[in-house]
Amino acid sequence: MEALVGLLTGFGVIMTPANLYLCFLGSLIGTLVGVLPGVGPLAALALLLPVTFTLSPVGGMVMLASIFYGAMYGGSTTSILLNIPGEAASVVTCIDGHQMAKQGRAGAALGIAAIGSFVAGTLGVIVMTFCAPAIAAVAIRFGPPENFALMVLGVVCTLFMITRSPVKGALMIALGFLTATVGIDVVNGRERFTFGSVDLSAGIELLAVVIGLFGVTEILSNVEATVKSTVVAERIRGLWPTLADWRASWRPMLRGSGLGFFLGLVPGGGPVTASFMSYAVEKRISARPERFGKGAIEGVAGPESANNAAVAGSLIPVLSLGIPGNPVTALLLGALVIQGIQPGPLFITQRPDLFWGIVASMYVGNVFLLLLNLPLVGLWAQLLRIPYRVLFPIVLLLSVVGTYSANKNVFDLWVMLGFGIAGYVLHKLNYDLAPFIIAFVLAPLLEQSLRQSLAMSPHGAMIFIERPATLLMLLCSAGLIALMLRPLPNTKGGRL
Amino acid sequence: MRNPRIAFVFLAISLSALLATPAAAQGDGAKADLAKLKPKDFPTGPIEFTVVYPAGGGMDVTARLLAKHVEKWSGDRIVVNNRTGGAGMVGHAYLATQAKPDGYTVGVIANLMWGDAMLRAQNRWAYTDLEPIGYLNSDALTWVGPTEGPYKGMSVRQIVALAKDKPGTIRAATVPGSMWDYILDQVEANTGAKFLRVPFQGGGAGINALAGENVDIAQGFYSEFRGLAEAGKVTPIGVASSERMSFLKDTPTMNEALGGNEYLWNVIRFVVVPKGTPADRKAYLKAAIEAAMKDPELVAEYVKAGVYFDPKLTNAARMETNLNEYAEREREFYQKTGRLK
Repeated sequence: MEALVGLLTGFGVIMTPANLYLCFLGSLIGTLVGVLPGVGPLAALALLLPVTFTLSPVGGMVMLASIFYGAMYGGSTTSILLNIPGEAASVVTCIDGHQMAKQGRAGAALGIAAIGSFVAGTLGVIVMTFCAPAIAAVAIRFGPPENFALMVLGVVCTLFMITRSPVKGALMIALGFLTATVGIDVVNGRERFTFGSVDLSAGIELLAVVIGLFGVTEILSNVEATVKSTVVAERIRGLWPTLADWRASWRPMLRGSGLGFFLGLVPGGGPVTASFMSYAVEKRISARPERFGKGAIEGVAGPESANNAAVAGSLIPVLSLGIPGNPVTALLLGALVIQGIQPGPLFITQRPDLFWGIVASMYVGNVFLLLLNLPLVGLWAQLLRIPYRVLFPIVLLLSVVGTYSANKNVFDLWVMLGFGIAGYVLHKLNYDLAPFIIAFVLAPLLEQSLRQSLAMSPHGAMIFIERPATLLMLLCSAGLIALMLRPLPNTKGGRL
Repeated sequence: MRNPRIAFVFLAISLSALLATPAAAQGDGAKADLAKLKPKDFPTGPIEFTVVYPAGGGMDVTARLLAKHVEKWSGDRIVVNNRTGGAGMVGHAYLATQAKPDGYTVGVIANLMWGDAMLRAQNRWAYTDLEPIGYLNSDALTWVGPTEGPYKGMSVRQIVALAKDKPGTIRAATVPGSMWDYILDQVEANTGAKFLRVPFQGGGAGINALAGENVDIAQGFYSEFRGLAEAGKVTPIGVASSERMSFLKDTPTMNEALGGNEYLWNVIRFVVVPKGTPADRKAYLKAAIEAAMKDPELVAEYVKAGVYFDPKLTNAARMETNLNEYAEREREFYQKTGRLK
């Protein structure tokens, strides 16, 4: 009841022309930022932060938040059409989304991605409306051991991402872990594998790796395929998802929403982790997992829902505790602080206009985004007719700009190029690149939470058994590994 | 916890009310003084304020507020640029070794730069390569205790005594290789206590862990624990500054609590230019920052963010000398503890 009153207050705040305009503007910018490879929500928010100083706190927050979730809508577009992730949370959408595009089903993939985003975004904000304080109270108790167990579960899920040789897949995971250790040790502050280089002491930037490994690699691979003149040679069949697509997608959407929302709540988690895990889950529980990687619509519906739900999830700790779980939400917190507002556990009671205004704007923003993205599906699909020689230089340029804008560090461009070449070679040698990225994302969190857990435990590793939530998640991981090792009767041999 | 804050807002409002009239009268005078110092050929383009931490963080907010007011007083265009990475190391090295000393690059930094220069720069640069041109504000590292569980309501002295009686049982949040760790080193060395140190990436993360009962004490800055403290989830128990904070009157200093004089750990925010910046440009920038810092509006914004102003640094004439003294004190600590040979 209280929530409904609050929500009504929020709609009262938001239903002014100025605020609706800012919400629409944010959605539009977000979509654009998502579509452009390299330029992610973090860079866009940092760039637009000064603009919000001149706005009201509600207006500023509404715009910044809508850019964040808008980017999740746009990100899938580039992944599906060009096999280049528009932003890091859409890496996994490349796998099946682009295959669908190649089969002439780009429209269906784009449509499902937009609708999945809408469903997840709306479900996420509904949960946020009714349960934010309660969820926050539970989330704050989530300590290092729980984080560790969750990351273990994540790594186990990564194993399901391997589509080709299990040995090569495992090698890529190991390489991902190793690459992530470069930089300053999160626990004792010492440098590791930096070889005296200041640039390496900052660690290797995720964005540069993603753009290099997926963007540059894809461009390099396409340059050799001179035979084709456009991205997708086949004719584009039907722009809309079919009934069969719907039937296959609604469950992944719901699962992705739940999983994404939960992972958004966890510190260090967020849209990137959520999309990967959702893909792994969908592949695991599918009756015909062999379709994944060959244009399975579930592989688009699940992750694209998950990354949107993760945005809603990650806003809860910031708005109801003042605790940011990832760099984007940290920036949102900063925007509030500049306005002279310090969110904390009392934020909802002290500034109901602001909290409920943001929540209400998310309902509106998701509708805007759906209306914005669905009609664009046809237009985007036309992009595929643009010849390579025109399209790819533009994409490459945007990648360079986007990568540089994140940290304003030229070194990141070398990283991007290096990983682009490495990705090309690995691709030729039939290595999966997705397990590398997910291992790279999870490794710092996994390491930090493991070492924190051991540091806070008087009895060493016993801490993982003493805490029920931790134990439960570790048992789940063990169960999954057991399932994996047992050869499945209806597939040819073990898939690892 | 609410009263001090309200009192503080009142203070800020009355402060600005008090200063508003003279400031308005002085306003034109200050602008004219600044115009007199303005070199003929500078600036012809935007001036970059380099921040070495990510957008949205405490340092970034400080710099952006400063930029807004420097623009207001000087009429020059300021661009805030975040050069991040390596916990500030990348940006510090950029300012000291790569940035052109032409007045167009100004660093809005914190004293954490000293640690980078002394311990991690491997003699490629020194803290003296960055010349201070203005002091902004300070934050005192504060010990924060729980409001639930076995250690609730305990003073610093009681907790330290317990950590001595039962070494390695009290979980203390820390940020490795930083003042969070250093103050624990001092306390342990002086009292014989032994904490179970749990590493976090920043003060805020440790305080959250305290609120979630995953550690028993944490340390952080006022802005980091204010929200949770107002809600009664955590409580400040000791401030590592020479005097009590006006907004935390009931919280003793660490020196008071433990009877010492060396528990002084602050984040000091100040403005630098790379060594070699032409004297006239440097003087102009210095005056522009001074004008902004005299603006009661900016002061009120900083006060709202929960900082304090160190009287040893607010005096412009003594600022550089006293900053260097603080830096040298830090060097002594590193030498004494064997971190620096």
